[in-house]
Amino acid sequence: MIWRLIAMVVGACAILVGAVLVAHQSPVESLHTLIHGSLGSPAAIAGTLREATPLLICGLAVFIALRAGLFNIGVEGQLLVGACTCAVVAIRLPGVPGMILGVVAGMVAGALWALPAGLIKAYRNGHEVITTIMLNNVAIFITSALVAGPIKDKTQADTATAYVAASSRMPWLYRTPTVEVNFSLVLGILLAIGMALWLKRTVAGYELQAVGANRVAARFAGVSPQKVTMLAMTISGALGGLAGAVQVLAYEGRFYDGFSPGYGFDALGVALLAGGSAYGVLPSSLLFGMLSKGGTALQIDGVPKGITTVVLGMLILIAAAIRYRKVTTTDA
Amino acid sequence: MLNLLVLTILFSTPLILAAMGGYTSERGGVVNIGLEGMMLMAACVGAIASVRFGPVGEVVGGIIAATIMSSLHWLATQIYHIDHVISGMALNAIAAGATNFLYLKLSDPAHGSDLPHIPITIFCITAFVIPFLIWLYSRQTRGGLRLLSVGSDPDKARLMGIQPVRVRFFGLLATGVLTGLAGVELVAYTGVFTDNMTSGRGYIALAALILGGWRPIPAFLACFAFGFFSALRLQLQGTPLFGAQLPSQLWAALPYIVTVIALAGLLGRNRTPAGLGKH
Repeated sequence: MIWRLIAMVVGACAILVGAVLVAHQSPVESLHTLIHGSLGSPAAIAGTLREATPLLICGLAVFIALRAGLFNIGVEGQLLVGACTCAVVAIRLPGVPGMILGVVAGMVAGALWALPAGLIKAYRNGHEVITTIMLNNVAIFITSALVAGPIKDKTQADTATAYVAASSRMPWLYRTPTVEVNFSLVLGILLAIGMALWLKRTVAGYELQAVGANRVAARFAGVSPQKVTMLAMTISGALGGLAGAVQVLAYEGRFYDGFSPGYGFDALGVALLAGGSAYGVLPSSLLFGMLSKGGTALQIDGVPKGITTVVLGMLILIAAAIRYRKVTTTDA
Repeated sequence: MLNLLVLTILFSTPLILAAMGGYTSERGGVVNIGLEGMMLMAACVGAIASVRFGPVGEVVGGIIAATIMSSLHWLATQIYHIDHVISGMALNAIAAGATNFLYLKLSDPAHGSDLPHIPITIFCITAFVIPFLIWLYSRQTRGGLRLLSVGSDPDKARLMGIQPVRVRFFGLLATGVLTGLAGVELVAYTGVFTDNMTSGRGYIALAALILGGWRPIPAFLACFAFGFFSALRLQLQGTPLFGAQLPSQLWAALPYIVTVIALAGLLGRNRTPAGLGKH
């Protein structure tokens, strides 16, 4: 199996080098651009952190579901619904209450959006992946319809809501005209630590992982898989909604059509790369943030940004092959 | 009225082809959410190949591209034992990135939409015949029954001397050919490749397959219904319905909402193949 894995990694690298050569670029130089564009200057680092923040929170959302043995592919939809709801609430309430209520509203909306997937999985045994894919598309269309009509700010040309008042935006940790780091990053890190502790130190966290490891064994041990499924899906959805709310309140300031460039999908890769601990989501979201920010620098250099998406896809495959190696060597 | 029928057929053609591609893979027990990526890849490679090799090259190139993608899915799920969903997601990501990259780098902007294509009618006829052929194949032939048995219970199939891994390979080859046709049809219809031009059709096809209870004829009918609603949406755009103007996005969301309701078991029993996702 280890040889197969090496073959896979070598194959993936060969494809990437080949692709860069096709674009008439030197692979070494492209790598340099990628790293320089994401970590080379304070502004680049701030940009990487900005990309990493939603990926971190979404990654945690996927991660908690994954620990319970569920694939929440619906984080994208939960993020959109959360962001949309948060924007609607926060616009109407100035000041700190607007921020807090906006976050709460976003989390509730995200959790509600994940609810059908949890219910169908727990009580109808319908695959949560299919449900969440469908709910994603519903979320994309419905938020797009809302922002084009009822909640659109009529005074501006873009299909977007009005801006949230500065008083109810999330505070900045550090801000100069070129370098901005938002408090939301700290929030994400605290969430990761909190989740790691919750999973390790509490009964509920233990039960959640027990169901993820073996549903049948967990049931015989007196844990209800249905309840755990509902709990995990709700937390996951709430975190997805939170990511959307944070994105509105920290950087974007409003909700607009095409709000998420696929954070919810990238988050699946983030969570898979993270391995078995919530702390692992921190470095893996940083890596994905680097790829995203560095990809923009590559684009300017003449290598289409799509190449970073290919890298993400391959990383997901390799991470999955490693992750499931132990389980599968017995019957392979 | 005739216009509506023509539009329905046009819109449902790629859905039917992709859904049948999903059928041959999912009835063999391989979860395939990578239909979208396979179609996208076929559309892109088809568009590039058509410039050099003409309309036939377009179809062949598209089919080869989609077949490579589906073989990758087979390799990942059956040999590397990667979770089917993860592999499908990764394939979708790779296809989205690679088509963006390939088309920007390899296409020739001098050649536009004036290229000759295989007439759409051929795709439509193929799409409306294939579900019945697949139904016959999976009910009446040894190969078809083997595919179903592998998808229902791989362990029992193994006891019968059938190798699931091998049967699934052929199932996924068929998936590649069918999704390849679906992707090429999109390019042949619009004339050019655009970024993310499948825009969720792979997922709608999957939804239709689920609504049809993983059976070819009902899945075909579901595709037809989805195509009908898309056509209706286009026809009704701008005209008020029931006194209020419904945003077109709500029409677009309809297939997905219906599928969630079906998954909740509110439209008949759950017919998920028992061996779906098992090794």
